[in-house]
Amino acid sequence: MAHQAHPYHMVDPSPWPLTGAVAALLMTSGLAIWFHFHSTILMLLGTVLLVLTICQWWRDVVREGTFQGHHTPPAQKGLRYGMILFITSEVLFFAGFFWAFYHSSLAPTPELGGFWPPAGITPLDPFEVPLLNTAVLLASGVTVTWAHHSIMEGDRKQAIHSLTLTILLGGYFTFLQALEYYEAPFTIADGVYGATFFVATGFHGLHVIIGSTFLAVCLHRQIRHHFTSTHHFGFEAAAWYWHFVDVVWLFLYISIYWWGS
Amino acid sequence: SSLNLLCALQQVARRTITSSARRERNRVPEKQKLFQEDNGLPVHLKGGATDALLYRATMGLTVFGTGYVLYELWKASFPQKKD
Repeated sequence: MAHQAHPYHMVDPSPWPLTGAVAALLMTSGLAIWFHFHSTILMLLGTVLLVLTICQWWRDVVREGTFQGHHTPPAQKGLRYGMILFITSEVLFFAGFFWAFYHSSLAPTPELGGFWPPAGITPLDPFEVPLLNTAVLLASGVTVTWAHHSIMEGDRKQAIHSLTLTILLGGYFTFLQALEYYEAPFTIADGVYGATFFVATGFHGLHVIIGSTFLAVCLHRQIRHHFTSTHHFGFEAAAWYWHFVDVVWLFLYISIYWWGS
Repeated sequence: SSLNLLCALQQVARRTITSSARRERNRVPEKQKLFQEDNGLPVHLKGGATDALLYRATMGLTVFGTGYVLYELWKASFPQKKD
């Protein structure tokens, strides 16, 4: 078998970038077809294709790293840069929604009554469920750090416990937020208040679900002995993402829930 | 009491996960042998027959989906007949 004289990862040819691109095409065109012709089949097909692509692509990354040994220290450095750059792009994504919120709330127009929250809006009490949600996410930040230290110390049982707890806390947040969405006295259609509230918190909630899923995959891998005490970058990436999700919530809580009420 | 129930549920879930987790033997060396076998297979097909099945299903949807979206976009480009 030929051996490489460098520590970088030359990947096998893969069909997943193509299937992922077609999935994106189907989802976006499907969205337009749904808007104009009320048919959801194209969008659904795109979503199914996206899920299939995601599962197989990341399954392959696990195979390449854990089973084939391709994730040498230099290769891992590249993965670290990649994850950091991705999270940075997500920070900028949320920055847009915070910009929109502050644009409208710092100088409320006469149509809103000249004040914020606008006329007719009953904001949620920041010291009720939103405060509980803040505590839940902060606690989950502690438990994910506990999990990391457990992995580094080779304590399998504690790693599994603390990672499970982190995921449960994430699920609890999602559950509480869903309840809040259902009970809220205003909707996304209620002017710029409703729009900025639900788009910002909605995208955040989606990221909580993504982060919880990422952590769940890590739990599965931890149970199956994929992680060693010195090599567990998949978990570190999930933990970074989780901390990012927590920080976004803190900004949301202070800006929209607290100052915005 | 609903808090107690939640705590109890959490403990059951955790114990169920950790008791089956404890029984989990380390099968990584077997996987390493399988995926390092010198058989020329690309990583996305190297796991076995299920890989090929999943790949064919995914690629099938991809090809069908591409054709279907082009058809729908072609159809949408023309004025719609309203009854």
